[in-house]
Amino acid sequence: MNFTFGADAFSWIFFGLVTVMWVLVGIFTGKYGEANHLDHMPRFWLFYSLTYVSLAALCFAKSFLSMYLCFEFMTLLSMPLVAHEERPEAIAAAKKYLFYSIFGASLALIGLFFAGRYTDGVFAAGGTLDMSLASGNEKLLLVVVFLTVVGFGAKAGLYPLHSWLPTAHPEAPGPASAVLSGVITKAGVLCIIRVIYFVFGADFIRGTWVQYTLMAMAMLTIFMGSLMAYNQRHFKRRLAYSTVSQVSYILLGVFALNPLALTGSMLHIVYHAIIKNTLFLVAASVIFSTKHLHYVEDLEGLGRRMPWTFGCFTIASLGLVGVPPFAGFLSKWYLATGILSEKIPVISWMAPAVLLASALMTAAYLLSISIKAFFPRKDLVLDTNEFGKPVTESPLQMVLPMVILTAFVVVLGIAAQPWYNFFSVIASGVF
Amino acid sequence: MNICGVTLGFNFSGFQLIYVCVACFMWICSLLFSLEYMKHYENKKRYYIFMIATWFATVGVLASTNFLTTFIFFEIMSFTSYLLVIHEETPGPMRAGETYLAVAVIGGMVMLMGLFLLYDALGTLSFDGLDAVAKFALESGQTTEGRLFAAGLCILFGFGAKAGMVPLHIWLPKAHPIAPAPASALLSGILTKAGIFGAIVISVNLFFENVTWGVMMATIGIVTMFLGALLGVFSVNLKRTLACSSVSQIGFITLGIGMICLLGPENALASRGTFLHMLNHSMIKLLLFSAAGVVYMNLHHLELNDIRGYGRKKPLLLVLFAIGAASISGVPGTSGYISKTLLHESIVEFIEHAEHIGLEKLAGLFHVYEIVFLITGGMTLCYMLKLFICLFIGKNANPALQAKYDEKTKYMSVLSSACLIAPAALLTVMGITAYRTMNLMAEIARFFLHGYAAEHEVHYFVWTCIKGSCISVTVGLVLYFLVVDKLLIKKKKNGDLVCAEYVDAWPKKLDLEELVYRPLIKLLLSPGIFKYIDALPDKTAEFFSQVAFKQWNKESKRFSFKSWYHESSGGKALKSFHEAYLSARDSMSFGLLLAAGGLAIFLIYMLINWVA
Repeated sequence: MNFTFGADAFSWIFFGLVTVMWVLVGIFTGKYGEANHLDHMPRFWLFYSLTYVSLAALCFAKSFLSMYLCFEFMTLLSMPLVAHEERPEAIAAAKKYLFYSIFGASLALIGLFFAGRYTDGVFAAGGTLDMSLASGNEKLLLVVVFLTVVGFGAKAGLYPLHSWLPTAHPEAPGPASAVLSGVITKAGVLCIIRVIYFVFGADFIRGTWVQYTLMAMAMLTIFMGSLMAYNQRHFKRRLAYSTVSQVSYILLGVFALNPLALTGSMLHIVYHAIIKNTLFLVAASVIFSTKHLHYVEDLEGLGRRMPWTFGCFTIASLGLVGVPPFAGFLSKWYLATGILSEKIPVISWMAPAVLLASALMTAAYLLSISIKAFFPRKDLVLDTNEFGKPVTESPLQMVLPMVILTAFVVVLGIAAQPWYNFFSVIASGVF
Repeated sequence: MNICGVTLGFNFSGFQLIYVCVACFMWICSLLFSLEYMKHYENKKRYYIFMIATWFATVGVLASTNFLTTFIFFEIMSFTSYLLVIHEETPGPMRAGETYLAVAVIGGMVMLMGLFLLYDALGTLSFDGLDAVAKFALESGQTTEGRLFAAGLCILFGFGAKAGMVPLHIWLPKAHPIAPAPASALLSGILTKAGIFGAIVISVNLFFENVTWGVMMATIGIVTMFLGALLGVFSVNLKRTLACSSVSQIGFITLGIGMICLLGPENALASRGTFLHMLNHSMIKLLLFSAAGVVYMNLHHLELNDIRGYGRKKPLLLVLFAIGAASISGVPGTSGYISKTLLHESIVEFIEHAEHIGLEKLAGLFHVYEIVFLITGGMTLCYMLKLFICLFIGKNANPALQAKYDEKTKYMSVLSSACLIAPAALLTVMGITAYRTMNLMAEIARFFLHGYAAEHEVHYFVWTCIKGSCISVTVGLVLYFLVVDKLLIKKKKNGDLVCAEYVDAWPKKLDLEELVYRPLIKLLLSPGIFKYIDALPDKTAEFFSQVAFKQWNKESKRFSFKSWYHESSGGKALKSFHEAYLSARDSMSFGLLLAAGGLAIFLIYMLINWVA
């Protein structure tokens, strides 16, 4: 078994994404933690940076073993972020996060053992499966691939192991849920990309039950996530279910084993990270200003008092729905056309339909918040927070990261062509 | 230019040039009219910003040369125009805005699905040469007619939702009355045409001479025109009537698109009629909605009973309104007469054609359509007459109010009146010089609609043409004086005065949106079975954790299984098993039992392996 690190295009993309997000959320947290009297901020910063280090190491892992170890480190080091507020619910949520992640990782461990026997374990585009050893054991190996992907899928919120997200996010402090949802779920995606494209190879699972089952699971997750998000009243839980749904867009594209769809996935990794970070920072900003608002119906009329926060929210929401010219449209386009061109019976046309049904629900659960915030129907608009002070816009140090992220949503949406060219070269290189 | 990874394509010639000009003309008129109309509104800055944003987006749609460009600008247009609809921000507009946004978003997403399918089938989304590509793909077996139909229907759904085709017309009668009048003029006059634009592109490029598609479009058109007119006759609100009228006229245009597809090389009349009716309708609705805006600006009412008699002693308003009303009713001599006659003649032509090639059933169907067409023409006259008589002839039930109305002679600024006179003048000129202006414009637009040149000069003022219009006018007059006047206008004796009251006879419950769409969407968005699917992993984990580490997560007692377990009969049956389990759980025998279970599973696996 090799324990190696090295950089390829995927490493740099993920590393860049992680770094930008970590810095921006860090700036936000500086103010958020200080004024919200979050105790033990040094502890938060310690684990915040350690998680960053483990994520960066994960990005540059070049063999299954090193990736697995970094993955476990990341899980353990990010757990205190969830439990940070030390309320019993927060601790229970952290335990749940740990349980799901470790269980997922233990499934992935199976993959590690088998990869050690049948591949050389070092990542290489197209996979390193030794066909002379594998022939005759294909069925077993397929089960192994399936379990490994499902295991890493726990981090990415793939269906059976998704339910830590809606529990952990509402309990974690705002900035922690932002990075958890926007970036750490993508670590699961990265691991799955590595397993499929760099260890076992796309050709090995193309057209097998593994591919179809995984695609079906991703579609179920997309639909269920959106539907559940629509039915949540809790603001952050709604966003958490939205993450469940959106990360499965990415996985669906990864499972399609098609260069176009993979390009769409990679675009969506970037877009979703930006957008979801914005949305969670907005949630944090609302809590910062009002001290106590957690439910969607409480947000009535807040847009007038916090125009920047909710302006960012609206643009990010439009991006997530996939309304051009904002980011999010193009990724959906390539995902759908890529999957359609694969000509898989039923799944091929059902996947775009599920994507669009989910986009509709996304519009319903996000834009309704925007509309409520900007055009309150009741006269009961919240004027003061818990301490009797008027609700105002959050300080500049919090608004700035949101505005920068929102600017990304607009700029990356309008000037998408260079990104597409860049990603499509990388995506076609792994087949 | 490359936006959102899409290479934008624009074309400013032919049909698209004319329609971009129409859009600009309408926006300039509406914006100038807004100066007076919006004087007392709040958030004027927002209104103007989104008005201009919608303008650019609409021009983008109308000038686009591939579907992705169309889609991008179409979505921008939908969202920016939402801000115009809800401008007043009171509960009424908010609810109408919700309907508008829902229809726009659903329409947009279904259209996107259609674009996915079309791109998958043909590999291109450019209008240029789309027909040839589709033909080639069909002949080479690369795609099937079924797939093209699926794509076409999805795309038509999206554009039809914006155009207001039945059954997606629900947003029009809701959104138009509550939006500021200049915005309603644009919504009705040009935003619906952006939908029609897409419907034309998809129909003439992919389904030219396709009988199924043509009959479908014609049927949608007939149903839309009739239902719209019916709603219009019953409506007792000035702007709502105009909105229903828009639905109805969109039906005429949709029928025209169907006829273009059906008639193939003989579609000279149909293509001309379709285009001219679009043009007429844009101008007429600009004029009429602005006129309604003048009324609302002064009275802040739109209900017919409130505004009754307002137009008396206001000759300019009367002339302007009459020009619009006559033209939309297709009275001979107006521009509306030309386009409706052309559409009517195209139906007659198709009936002859169908009989000629032995499609008796189709000919019979279109005989029915022709009758509905003429009756709808009559209904158009009927509801316009209702508005006209209400505004300009009838007297208000309240004599004091009527006196106040009569006194008011300064009811709009010079600039506003210029904004109303401009489209009215255009309509008049078009009507008078039909052979030169209208023929010329139809000729310019012909290629976009896949129209063929007419074999001989079309004569508009021959008896066969006038006959249709006369039938419509007669039907309209009869309908108004025998039905509307008797049933929908209640006469009341008020002292020695007989005053009339407009009755809203349309059953309140008969509302497609409240009756079908809202409950349906509510049902579709309820979690249903997915709630359990979502909770399944959690419950499984809880179960195993209870078996493995009993103390983990004590809060699991909350979960609703318990109450089911203690209270229902099914639960009690399980309870006896569970109690046995509980008594055994802490003992060693239970551990052995689990081990035995594992062993059993292992043995069964061995057995299966051995057998297989």
